[in-house]
Amino acid sequence: MIEFVLDGRSRVSTYMQLVLQVKQALRVGLLAPGDQLPRVREVAGSLAINPNTVLKAYRELELEGLAEGRPGVGTFITRTLAGPSLTSQVDLREDLVGWLRKAEAAGLGREDITALIETTMRAVLDGPAREET
Amino acid sequence: MNDVGADMTDTAITTSGLGKRYKRTWALQDCTLHLPTGRIAALVGPNGAGKTTLLHLAVGLLAPDAGSVRVFGQDPYGNTKALAEIGFVAQDNPLYRDFTARELITLGGKLNRNWDAALARTRLSDLGIAPDLAVGKLSGGQRAQVALALALAKRPRLLLLDEPIAALDPLARHEFMQALMGAVAETGTTVLLSSHLLADLERACDYLIVLQTSRVQLSGPVDDLLESHRTLIGPRTEADRIPGVAEVIRVSHTDRQSTLLARVDGTLPTDPAWTVREVTLEDLVLAYLAKADTRATRTAWEVKA
Amino acid sequence: MIWLTWRQHRKQVLYTAIALAVLAAVMLPTGLSMHHVFTDSGLAACLAKVPTTPVISANVNTCGLLSNEFQRQFNGMGFIAILFLILPVLVGLFYGAPLVAREVEHGTHRFVWTQGVSRRRWAATEFGLIGAVALVFATAYSLGVGWWSGPLISNGGRMGQFVFDFEGVVPIAYTLFAVALGVLVGAVSKKVLPAMGITLAGYAVVRVLIEVFARPRYQSPLTASFSVTSNDQFNTPDAWTYSQGIVNGAGKLVQPGAQMTCAGQSGGAGTCGDQLAQQGLGPAPFSNWEKYQPASRFWEFQGIETGIFLALTVILVCLAFRRVRGIS
Repeated sequence: MIEFVLDGRSRVSTYMQLVLQVKQALRVGLLAPGDQLPRVREVAGSLAINPNTVLKAYRELELEGLAEGRPGVGTFITRTLAGPSLTSQVDLREDLVGWLRKAEAAGLGREDITALIETTMRAVLDGPAREET
Repeated sequence: MNDVGADMTDTAITTSGLGKRYKRTWALQDCTLHLPTGRIAALVGPNGAGKTTLLHLAVGLLAPDAGSVRVFGQDPYGNTKALAEIGFVAQDNPLYRDFTARELITLGGKLNRNWDAALARTRLSDLGIAPDLAVGKLSGGQRAQVALALALAKRPRLLLLDEPIAALDPLARHEFMQALMGAVAETGTTVLLSSHLLADLERACDYLIVLQTSRVQLSGPVDDLLESHRTLIGPRTEADRIPGVAEVIRVSHTDRQSTLLARVDGTLPTDPAWTVREVTLEDLVLAYLAKADTRATRTAWEVKA
Repeated sequence: MIWLTWRQHRKQVLYTAIALAVLAAVMLPTGLSMHHVFTDSGLAACLAKVPTTPVISANVNTCGLLSNEFQRQFNGMGFIAILFLILPVLVGLFYGAPLVAREVEHGTHRFVWTQGVSRRRWAATEFGLIGAVALVFATAYSLGVGWWSGPLISNGGRMGQFVFDFEGVVPIAYTLFAVALGVLVGAVSKKVLPAMGITLAGYAVVRVLIEVFARPRYQSPLTASFSVTSNDQFNTPDAWTYSQGIVNGAGKLVQPGAQMTCAGQSGGAGTCGDQLAQQGLGPAPFSNWEKYQPASRFWEFQGIETGIFLALTVILVCLAFRRVRGIS
């Protein structure tokens, strides 16, 4: 069972902080499919936050297909975050290293590279609808 | 677990032009609210703004001088049936200080039709509060927990709390809010709690009512309020109408720049001269409180402008 | 509600019971002593033989010697009697004044009136139970004082303004009145100490007004007189004497406060009163005269005064009820 922590000074809303923490836990393997998320009552009672906020976070996870609520029992993780296989990740990483060297050679600094990546990501990933994997 | 959408058609508290007068001054006036069930509402405003008056009207301790108040459709004044659905903790958690916690639970059972003594005992034992010590000897935080446990033992549909944590140290405050949130998660009780400090309530509340100088200045679900207000920073302007702005709540100028907190009308200002930022709850409350604040003008002090 | 009222007041009731018990224990020896001396000295027997007419021959023994001896022996008891005058108002101060005032002063009214009981039920139970407790205590000390002062009264009567107040049933009425006054004042002032002060003052004022202005008028007083030449005396030691004096032949009071007797004077009965006639106070014959309420009217007067104070009590309680409804 994971435990949530809130950053009071973050501009990220409370429910989004919970969502992100679940995703991070999935990423590092603290949570796996079948694990139960803490009960709403426990989270609200330990963080002193509105129970509806917790419900909103869990609902968000359900919408993203990461979790499912079983009435009377609790909310459970249904799948992992990681999708693609390890080998394709290795290939992609190699490609990325090559591209970065090229960018460096072209004279782009760190911030230019970050900006370029972000604007391209936005255009490609958020632009026209992408296919479901 | 309670479903957020379930009881939205019910309102917990409805007031219509509600007003209360003490001799010549109106402690509360023109108060019209519809607090939906299932919400945890914050009632904020400075001391003397009318928060306690509103809560006392809602719990039937006062009768209105104007307008009406209904709790779950009933008039709470002199109505013990309506009172059974309302749990109330007055300012400073008044309790009989020579009674022990155990005796107070017994008392509750004698005075209330629906009383869950076991619930109260469980809550207090979980918190480690001594049952046979006079509550006057408990710490302020423990007394607040006792008062809360007694209010919850009625199994009320509405909980009204008047500045429940104002006099508590930070740890006791946190523990009280933890206890309250946990209880609400279990029962889905609607809550209205007042405070003159917003910081304590920000994480807990999803509905906001701002009172200032005896009037409601702002009310509504927090999400909606945050969505409908923005901070705009741009070149100095005295313009009455800025595209996208429905109402300017607060504005300040330097010689070059104007900063406004405004209610927007859905179309965010697209003029690139304006930087648009989202507001925090605190920004919002401060702006509405400042808007209604009455201040003596410079001329009253005969100071040159 | 009954549980609550008892739980709130149990310590106080206990202390009051103990205080009364202590008082009784202290008064018991003096009471017994007075009773014994009263009979043993023969005063009791003597008084029993005295006729009851208001005027009797001067030759009749009215037990003056024994009576004075008894009074001399128990001279200090009068001071203790003052204590009994205070008991009713003390109950009023400690049971009545804090009843509503303490709840409001501490804010606990906002707790207890938002549970499941209406204010009316709260008030009815609290006022009723406290009234009942006050009634019990008042009856107890009424009976006690009545017994203790028995010999003193047989000797000196109980119609007198001071003594009347702690005999019979009026102390019970005073107590209930004091409690009711305390409750109302507490409900109005909403603070315990000022309420106690005002209750004390109010009680004193009402009692004095009724005692000084109303009580003399409950019934028309009787008069008795006898000629200054006759060998008679007044025999109304236990009556409440309003005034005495000398009246002339026309019935006019010519020498207030004075008494005269010339039986057995030289010069014969005819010269008696000549001085008065010479002063133009005639016509003769002159008589000693007094206006008084007879001791036989004791219970009537008790009944009337009790009725007045009970009526006041009821009015005050009703006002207190209404006041409680309006408290925020």
